[in-house]
Amino acid sequence: MTIRAFFAILLCKALQLFARILHRGGTAMPGRIALKLCPNLLAILARNVKTVAITGTNGKTTSARMIEEAFRLEGKSYLANRSGANLLSGITTEFVRNATIFGKVDKEYAVIECDEAAAVKAFGQLKPQVIVVTNLFRDQLDRYGEVTHTMANIRKGIQAVPEALLCLNADCSLTASLAGDLPNPVRWFGVDQGAAPSKPVPELSDATHCIRCKTAYTYDYVSYGHLGGFRCPKCGYCRHEADYAVTDLVAQRMDSTEAVLRINGKRELAKINLPAMYNVYNAIGAVAAICEMGLGSQAALRALAQFQCGFGRMERFDLGQAGARMMLVKNPAGCNQVIEFLQNITERFSLVICLNDRGADGTDISWIWDADFEGLRGLGGNLRQVLVSGDRAPDLRIRLKYAGIDDGRIRVQRDYEALVDWMARQTEPVLIMPTYTAMLELRQVMIRRCGGAEFWE
Amino acid sequence: MELKICHMYPDVLNLYGDRGNVMCMTQRLNWRGIETTVRKLPIGDSASLAGFDLVFIGGGQDFEQQVLLEDLHRGKDREIRAAIEDGVCFLTICGGYQMLGSYYETYDGQRCDFIGALDLYTVGAKERMIGNYKFRCGPESGGSLVVGFENHSGKTWLGSAVQPLGTVLAGYGNNGEDGTEGARYRNVFGTYSHGPLLPKNPALCDHILLTALTRKYGRAELAPLNDEAENAAHDEMAEKIH
Repeated sequence: MTIRAFFAILLCKALQLFARILHRGGTAMPGRIALKLCPNLLAILARNVKTVAITGTNGKTTSARMIEEAFRLEGKSYLANRSGANLLSGITTEFVRNATIFGKVDKEYAVIECDEAAAVKAFGQLKPQVIVVTNLFRDQLDRYGEVTHTMANIRKGIQAVPEALLCLNADCSLTASLAGDLPNPVRWFGVDQGAAPSKPVPELSDATHCIRCKTAYTYDYVSYGHLGGFRCPKCGYCRHEADYAVTDLVAQRMDSTEAVLRINGKRELAKINLPAMYNVYNAIGAVAAICEMGLGSQAALRALAQFQCGFGRMERFDLGQAGARMMLVKNPAGCNQVIEFLQNITERFSLVICLNDRGADGTDISWIWDADFEGLRGLGGNLRQVLVSGDRAPDLRIRLKYAGIDDGRIRVQRDYEALVDWMARQTEPVLIMPTYTAMLELRQVMIRRCGGAEFWE
Repeated sequence: MELKICHMYPDVLNLYGDRGNVMCMTQRLNWRGIETTVRKLPIGDSASLAGFDLVFIGGGQDFEQQVLLEDLHRGKDREIRAAIEDGVCFLTICGGYQMLGSYYETYDGQRCDFIGALDLYTVGAKERMIGNYKFRCGPESGGSLVVGFENHSGKTWLGSAVQPLGTVLAGYGNNGEDGTEGARYRNVFGTYSHGPLLPKNPALCDHILLTALTRKYGRAELAPLNDEAENAAHDEMAEKIH
């Protein structure tokens, strides 16, 4: 270790302490400053740690929590960037937190969620043993650019680690194409036709044309968005059979899912402690990663059944008579999955949607017109009231109006204290769909009222 | 009364909420009891443009541009030019707007021929022009204040045969240099205001609808709607954007 790294670690630790004294999160800032002093600090710290990295557009945090749970249940020593600080700076902060001032990390494993734009720099330093790519969807165009650009970033990141084993989503034609020109070993995960809802090809797909030859894909089936059994009629590029597959959905409940999995040829019944199809994908991706990290399929199954995600991902709050549940939304694909989940609720409920347009949300809110809010219309009397909130609440109000929801049932409430007061008065469940920064703020107000973990804990 | 809308290339030109414009036009016509049909014209569909009153073309990703150009040059380019000269109303946005011009020259000098329906061309710039912006429409386009979001790297320059759609009040517009935004030619409205332009700008939406109805029926009127929600969103952004 160099003298430079020593001082970088010292500084980073001092800043962390400082942040804690001030009761601030401080999950990224200390690492950012330490990296300025020693740009390869993460490489030094991660050298002897067996790392699994998770990247992709949607499901990073949930997948990481599922994987982490397996390490926890198996009694392994590990670290994880649990707070969603998933840029190079946040990852570095987490490693420093677990290091001695001489740069020795006392954990055997690391479960690292990595922003898709940060993958370029982070993978080379982390040298992960396993990399999971969950999926690729259009997301925050003003920040990431086109989805093919995000894909190129991830590819560049992986090129720095040719030995890393890739767990790729077989159903995502964009993600799967990473396997084509990289030397890395690949294992595939996905949802087989038997577990997919029988739907025609959706109009709004982020990948209509073959990534290799630009011919329109045909689909054997679609699970959601552009995910499914894709096939290019011209060049033959098609879905690879999954090594880790969901073959059947046995039960879909309000708070959990039961599914039949095929894990390297063996059938297993799994209980997933979350509802909705996008979490089924997160689960099977996590199973792949857990098994490939050498923890075994039984550890994976236990993790799916027991993990608690929290932090705005189907997180439950003890507010109002029937409780409130928060489901983070960031882009059309994820939002549509949440709306589909709402359509399956059989009781009466109220809905809160919070839209912000800050840096971490994406400053362009056009995406709300790609999301199928029309799906809420079909809820009829089950949907009691909709409250819209956040910096761009008026835009949500017109989006819902044009989706055919009676403007009289929509209320703008921008004051989070008043919003939480309202939630506390409800006799029926409240479901909350916030964007990222709205989630952070609203969650603060909610946990002050009813308890819960601060985001950096 | 009835209006026939054609949504061109919804399969590839649907970058970020573009379809919100079609939803908005349809709803605002339906609320007034005007029958509306929307026909989607994806790549490979060779249906004629004749018989449509309003054509909408959105923006797209670079990835599909080649597929799109091949399809255009199989005869749709001629159809579009003829429809425009015939006075059909067009609303074209971002990529769809650039595409009606004569060409696009990339930042490193590669030239790509477009369909030449409008007297304008676009040159790629190094820095993307991204952000909320606002502009004032010219009197011939209704004169309303429009709030929107732009995200383009192309700088568009207008020739003498077209008029700008409006004057930039904050943001970049066509090129960030000459203060113009968008283009007007016959009944064509072209703009960089990407995605859902119309829902927050009901005055512009109604002006476009009226243009299409007037062409079809000689004279037309649109009954006023309750635009409280739309105006609230519009006014708040107009205030915010500097």
